[in-house]
Amino acid sequence: MTELTAGFWSAAERRELVRPVCGDCGRNFFTPQIACPECLSENWSYEPSSGCGRVYSATVVHKASTPGVEVPFHLGIVDLDEGWSMLTTLVGSRLPAIDAPVEVTWLERDGRTVPAFRETA
Amino acid sequence: MRLDEVAIVGVGLTPQVKRSEKNSLQVALDAARLALADAGLRHTDVDGIAARWPGPGGTELAPGSADWSTLLGVPLGWIGDSYPQGVPALVDAAGAILTGQATTVLITGGQAGVLGGGTVAAYTRPGNEFVEPFGAFTATHFALVAQRHLARFPHARRGMAEIAATIRNTGSVNPAAVMHGRGPYTADDVLTAPPVVDPFTLLDLCLASEGGAAVVVTTLERARDLPHPPVVLLGAGMEWLRQQYVDPARYEQVWSIGSAAARKAFGQAGLGPSDVDVAQLYDVNSLEVARQFEALGFCGEGEGTDFALATGIGADGKLPTCTDGGLLSFSHIGWGAPTLKLAEAVHQVRGTAGDRQIARAEIALAAGAGSGAQYYNLALLGRAR
Ligand SMILES: [Zn+2]
Repeated sequence: MTELTAGFWSAAERRELVRPVCGDCGRNFFTPQIACPECLSENWSYEPSSGCGRVYSATVVHKASTPGVEVPFHLGIVDLDEGWSMLTTLVGSRLPAIDAPVEVTWLERDGRTVPAFRETA
Repeated sequence: MRLDEVAIVGVGLTPQVKRSEKNSLQVALDAARLALADAGLRHTDVDGIAARWPGPGGTELAPGSADWSTLLGVPLGWIGDSYPQGVPALVDAAGAILTGQATTVLITGGQAGVLGGGTVAAYTRPGNEFVEPFGAFTATHFALVAQRHLARFPHARRGMAEIAATIRNTGSVNPAAVMHGRGPYTADDVLTAPPVVDPFTLLDLCLASEGGAAVVVTTLERARDLPHPPVVLLGAGMEWLRQQYVDPARYEQVWSIGSAAARKAFGQAGLGPSDVDVAQLYDVNSLEVARQFEALGFCGEGEGTDFALATGIGADGKLPTCTDGGLLSFSHIGWGAPTLKLAEAVHQVRGTAGDRQIARAEIALAAGAGSGAQYYNLALLGRAR
């Protein structure tokens, strides 16, 4: 965690999903950077996300990269409705298909609250 | 001077093994000694180094390549901490030589004494706060690209397995390969191997092994007095989309990465894909081989696996690919692995590949990285004209 990303994780502690939004051009971006990748403005802030989006890609991980991680688990890229995307965990017994609608949920992992997504009922 | 007046005159590979008793610095030094001996040069002939410093020891100050001047006892006219090695280091070396900063550049690297402990190699799991909590590692990034591709082109799964089996079988009969004697494999063996991350099984994915790799680069003028036929740089190209393994790779953005680099390299060389005799593609996984055929202009999107099967990528095929067994079977030594591609390309072009020599291998392609990594580079090498 850095000064740049602290706002994301402190919102996550409250189970609120936020993303950087440029105050000048309105661009959503992720991961957080010091300046907006569209207009290079440093005038951006964390704004709440609806937490709703669609699966861009998804896969089943059968072998973990470090010991102690339960497998298999689901990993995906989610495109949020506001026009940004993130790498994330997909929860649920079934791997969601590409384009499946999903919503944010939260996991406690290594003493930290992290966003995950599940298929919208 | 022109690009094709830059020549690779020596290559050196240490034994490639699953786990080495040595450390990374020792294997890099061993590889450097072998490459210099192969070139018929002494370390005191070196006046430029692109090698970083693999540790242990060295100063904590960048550039790490400067530490090599202390180790080798030679003053240097130029250094570069090329990232990674392989083609980017060769391009750096060529730039140093073409601008008169150095005449003889050593590129060396590798890894040893770093793998093990029940985890995948550290370089495959970057410690980023938006990656680590979700359990992603390099193969998973490639898998998320592959899943999009296979949703469009499901037939490619079988072809991926054929590609993996072919390259692994090439390595199986190479006594220097880490996986020598393992196999032969069929496509079904690949498909039914233990899954790692869908769509990849263990046999679709490259190794993580240990060893060193080095090449020596100098001017064509100097190369003419050295033992081996000089292998010159005909063209090169690089593309960097974004930092690897942080923001996830998006299929539509990354699938064709390498196409612009290939246009540049082929343009410089005055050649096209059909002129390539041996392709040392960067086979981190089976689908990457097919992807590179598509991106580099050998065939169209979605046609990579069919192209590989119809053309033949084994030693007896029309386009022998990864002729040492590649990263899938020969070896993958971390940031030094791209130099393995240069070494094999050089051996094939100058006719020193021994039992795996491909007849009339005049033009070789050597490549590095791929779609999940979000950067790509390639070089075209050939006999001096
Ligand atoms: Zn902006």
